[in-house]
Amino acid sequence: MKRVLAYAVASLVSVAFLYPYLWMLVSSFRTTRAVLRDPLRLLPEQFDLSGFESILQVGDLSLVRAFANSLFITGTSTALAVLVTALGAYAITRRPRSWAFRALRYGFLVTMMYPYMLLVIPVYIVIYKLGLLGGYAGIILFLALGPIQFFLFEQFFRTLPGEVIEAATIDGAGEVAILFRVVLPMARPIVATVAIITFLLNWAAWFPVLVISSTSDTWTLPVALLNLNGELGTNFQGIMALSVVTTIPVAALFLVAQRRVMAGMTEGAVKG
Amino acid sequence: MPVRWRRESVFYLFALPFAGLSIVFGIWPILLSMEVSFTASATALRRVPTFVGLANYITVLGDPAFWQSLWLTLVYAALAVAANLGFALAMALLLNSRFITVGRTAFKLALFLPVVTPDVAGYVVWRWLYDQSFGAVNAALALAGLPRFGGIASPDTAMLAVLLAELWHHAGFYMVIFLANLAICERALEEAASIDGANTWQMFRYVVLPQLRPAIVINTIYALIQFLKTFTVIVVVTKGGPNGATNFLSYYAYQFFDQARYGEATAMATVLFVLVLAVSMTVYIASERGRA
Repeated sequence: MKRVLAYAVASLVSVAFLYPYLWMLVSSFRTTRAVLRDPLRLLPEQFDLSGFESILQVGDLSLVRAFANSLFITGTSTALAVLVTALGAYAITRRPRSWAFRALRYGFLVTMMYPYMLLVIPVYIVIYKLGLLGGYAGIILFLALGPIQFFLFEQFFRTLPGEVIEAATIDGAGEVAILFRVVLPMARPIVATVAIITFLLNWAAWFPVLVISSTSDTWTLPVALLNLNGELGTNFQGIMALSVVTTIPVAALFLVAQRRVMAGMTEGAVKG
Repeated sequence: MPVRWRRESVFYLFALPFAGLSIVFGIWPILLSMEVSFTASATALRRVPTFVGLANYITVLGDPAFWQSLWLTLVYAALAVAANLGFALAMALLLNSRFITVGRTAFKLALFLPVVTPDVAGYVVWRWLYDQSFGAVNAALALAGLPRFGGIASPDTAMLAVLLAELWHHAGFYMVIFLANLAICERALEEAASIDGANTWQMFRYVVLPQLRPAIVINTIYALIQFLKTFTVIVVVTKGGPNGATNFLSYYAYQFFDQARYGEATAMATVLFVLVLAVSMTVYIASERGRA
């Protein structure tokens, strides 16, 4: 009996959490008038693609461009984040007593405590001063820095067995060789975890992209969606269609890598 | 000596890009933000801005709308932290219980999927779910014979509507943290308590809850930081309305920024930063003291 109750509650909550996805998907294939008539229909009457057609071009921005921007900005900022943070965390954990590294670590941690949303305002001013406003470079560089990436790498490098590195040193290997031949092969799983989590986070990032962009040329999917949702004369079906396009790539990535993502995000939070 | 020096210097080379990014996109903007908060907005972006002392802070702190917004933010954060952690803990205990055997992962995935869903997309869908004419929420309530939910259209329910949408987006994360903690709890203690005749409540209160202390502390700090700066959901769903009912501090600060009132915006950012820092430090210190 208790078992039935437990399953009933768990199922009910799960269905409630998944329902918005179903509603979004179904509504993207139904005309606005059909949704108005019956908002709860579980399947579309027919697959009406006009919502998707309507978002192929929104104002100056084409869907293809927004999608390409999302892929490019998320991809490059993820690669950069992994590279830069891994090297930084590696150096800091290998030389923990260096005063410069201690200052760097402390400075970074304080920075990460500054509310992200509020950091974007002064970052806008910095990017303005650097002359990077309106380009991709400013967006990508800003998205390449995050606390969870640092915590995950730091945690991993701390658990590296010292003997392995010592043995390589005695064999006459330089630090660069040690990094590439000894450490990197061991670090593959953590690199994959950090890369996937960063991709998920950066795909969703909208505020820095919006603030650093000066035209819609550099907008990503979430920014395009926000803009469409804010337009007068609501294109409801188009909004649902664009939500689907924005959500599906990361939802798919998450489902493929779910174990890694959940474990990584837990660890990143617990160690931080 | 030169060989050793070269060996050391390579680490500085490794750390250089990381240090560069941390300075340019972390330390510099924060310092700049503090500087801008002491300058006149119109001159903030000039090479030589005009310093106005505490004028921006006086403007901000002297505005009753700021205090109204601060009060709303604190009330909302308190409610949201309690609701999210309560819900997440209940779900974690349920999924961890011996009654759930098959399908645990599926339930976990259902609750965690919103965490990695782009927040703009998730909140856009919620904005329309709440809609008075399109929305599934009121249609479902009508179907069940329940009264209508004002949602984001009414000042009385807007905060609740925002809270539910945020719970949907965040609770799965807190749940997974609780689950990780539950996984390392001592089963032997529970068995011993059960042999001693403890009932379910006593078991939870005196055996499970004390062991969950680490997860409770982490989740409280994370949730506090999260909900004190609630922002995206406001931009997407309510725009601070209706009638200012959800005009939380971060959105209020953003409006200043949007009007190019950089001085006031950064002054408010500094106030919010200090607030977030103070609240999370207090929780941290209180939890450390509680442990001793």
